[in-house]
Amino acid sequence: MKKGSKEGPSPRTLSWGDRLASGLATAALALVAGFISLPILSLVIWTVDRGAWRAMTSPVAVDALLLSMRTTAISMFIIVLVGTPAAYVLARADFRGKRFVDALVDIPAVLPPSAAGIALLLTFGRFGLVGRYFDAFGVTISFTTVAVVIAEIFVAAHFYVRQASVGFAGVRRDVEEAALVDGAGRLSVFTKVTVPLAFPALVAGAVTAWARALGEFGATIIFAGSFRGITQTIPLAIFAEFQSDIDAAVALSVLVLGFAFVVILAVRYLTRKATEHED
Amino acid sequence: MSSIRSRFLALACVFFMLLGVVSCGGGNSNSNGSGGGKQGGTLTIFAASSLIDAFGELGKTFENQNEGVKVKQSFESSSTLLTQIQQGAPADVFASAAMEEMDTAVKDGLVAASPQVFVRNREIIMVPNDNPADITRFKDVANPGVKLALAQKDVPAADYALQILDKANAKYGDDFEEDVLSNVVSREADVRASVNRVVVGDADATFGYASDYTVDIRDRVKVVPIPPDLNIVATYPIAALKDAEEPELAGKWVELVTSEEGQRVLKKWNFEPAA
Repeated sequence: MKKGSKEGPSPRTLSWGDRLASGLATAALALVAGFISLPILSLVIWTVDRGAWRAMTSPVAVDALLLSMRTTAISMFIIVLVGTPAAYVLARADFRGKRFVDALVDIPAVLPPSAAGIALLLTFGRFGLVGRYFDAFGVTISFTTVAVVIAEIFVAAHFYVRQASVGFAGVRRDVEEAALVDGAGRLSVFTKVTVPLAFPALVAGAVTAWARALGEFGATIIFAGSFRGITQTIPLAIFAEFQSDIDAAVALSVLVLGFAFVVILAVRYLTRKATEHED
Repeated sequence: MSSIRSRFLALACVFFMLLGVVSCGGGNSNSNGSGGGKQGGTLTIFAASSLIDAFGELGKTFENQNEGVKVKQSFESSSTLLTQIQQGAPADVFASAAMEEMDTAVKDGLVAASPQVFVRNREIIMVPNDNPADITRFKDVANPGVKLALAQKDVPAADYALQILDKANAKYGDDFEEDVLSNVVSREADVRASVNRVVVGDADATFGYASDYTVDIRDRVKVVPIPPDLNIVATYPIAALKDAEEPELAGKWVELVTSEEGQRVLKKWNFEPAA
C-alpha cells in the first residue's frame, strides 16, 4: 500500500502487525522444537539417572536391534526394487483405473497399523486367503521373520512410492525425450537421466519409508507375533520390557533414537555429497 | 465452479452428519449420567485380562445398583497393570490374576486395605478345533514342531504355565520343559492375546485359564486338560487402591465381587470359588 510495497517488504518497513505475526510464528517454531525435544530429553535424563545403559547391551536389546536392522534393510531393498519402476509408471503412464490404483497406494498410510495387522493375518495366516495355500505346501508365514518383513513393506511402501512418483512427475519430459533422440535406450534414459534427476525425492521417500518400517509396531505384533530374535523388533521389545522392566524399555527407546539419528545424519551427508558431485 | 461448490456442500453435509452422530452419542451418555440424581462418579477398575467377561457383566450390575455411577475397566496382563499403577495411573481397584503382583503393590504402599482372594482358576491347554498338531494329551505339547503361543514373561498365565512344566519334568523326564519351551513361537501381551492365536488358528496350542474357554470361542477351540497333579491353582486377589479417587465405590466393588451374586457370575464364567 505504501511505496515500499512495489519492491516487496523489507525489514525496515515492517509494520507493527507484521512484527507481531513474525514474532508469533517464531514462538510457534520454538513451541514445536520444545515439544519434540522435551520427551527426548526425558528419555536421556531417565537413562543417565537410573544408569539404564546396561540394559542396552542386554541380549533382548541386541537381538531386537539386529532384527530391526536386518528386517528394515530387506524391506527397503524390496520396496526400492519394486517401488521405483512402479512409481515411474504411476507418474508417467495413463491407464484405465489409474485413479483407483493411485488411491489404493495411499490406503496403508491412512489405515491404522493394527488394522493392517489383522488384514495381513487374514491374508497370510495359516487359514488366510493366501496363507492356506502356502500352508498346504508346508510353508508357514506367521511367527516368522518373513511376516515382520511383510508387515513392514505393507505399511512403509506407500511413503517411498508416493514420494518417488511425485519426484518422477517433476522430471521434464523433454529432457528424457532429448536423450532418447540422442540414441539412448529407454532403460538407460531411465537409469542415467530420470533417476538422477528425481534422486532427492527418491532419497527423501526412502528415508520416510525406512523410518516408518523401523517404527512398525501394530501390524507386526498382530500379524507376526513377538518372539526374541525372530519377530521381536525394537518397538515390540520396548512394549514387552515396559511390562516388566521400565528401565530396559527406556534404554531401548534411547537406543533406537540413537540408531535412527545416525541413519538420518548419514543419509543427509551422503545425499549432499552426491548432489555436490553432480554440480 | 459449480461442481466444486456441490462437492464442498456434499463434504460439509458428511461432516455435519458425523458431528451430529458424535453429539447425539455424547448427549445420551450425559443424560444417563445426570439422570441418576445426586450420587455419581466414575469407578476405574484395573483387572487381569482373564476377568474381562465376568467383570464386564458385574460392571453392568454395579451400574444398575448404583445409579449415576459409571464403571470404567481396563483389562490387561496383571504385570502391565501393576506397572501402570506404579507409574501413577488413576485406578480405584486392582484385581490381579496372581498373588505376586498384588504383593508387590502392597509392598510399594499402593493398596488401601489388605487384599482379598476372591476367586480361583486353573490352567488348560487350548488347541484349534481341527487340531493341526494333533494334540490329544497334555504331554503332546512337547512334540517337535508344535507351534505354541504363550503369554509373555511375568504375565501370571505364563508364570503358572512354567510352574506346571517344572512339575511335569519329574513325570515326563528332565527335557520336557525344555522341549515345550523350544516350541514357543510367540510371546503375547496377555493371556487373551495368546488364546486368540489359537482361535485364529495360527498357533497349534496355548496355555490359558479354564475361564478363558468362553462361550464365543467354543466352536473354534478345543480343550486338552492338564493332569490335576500337575496343574496349579491360580489365586486372584482384589484390593482398593490407596490413591483411589472413589474409595467408597472401590469398597463397594470389592463387596460386590466377593458377594454371593458376584461369585455366581464368576462361576458362570468358569472360575472356581475362593473358599
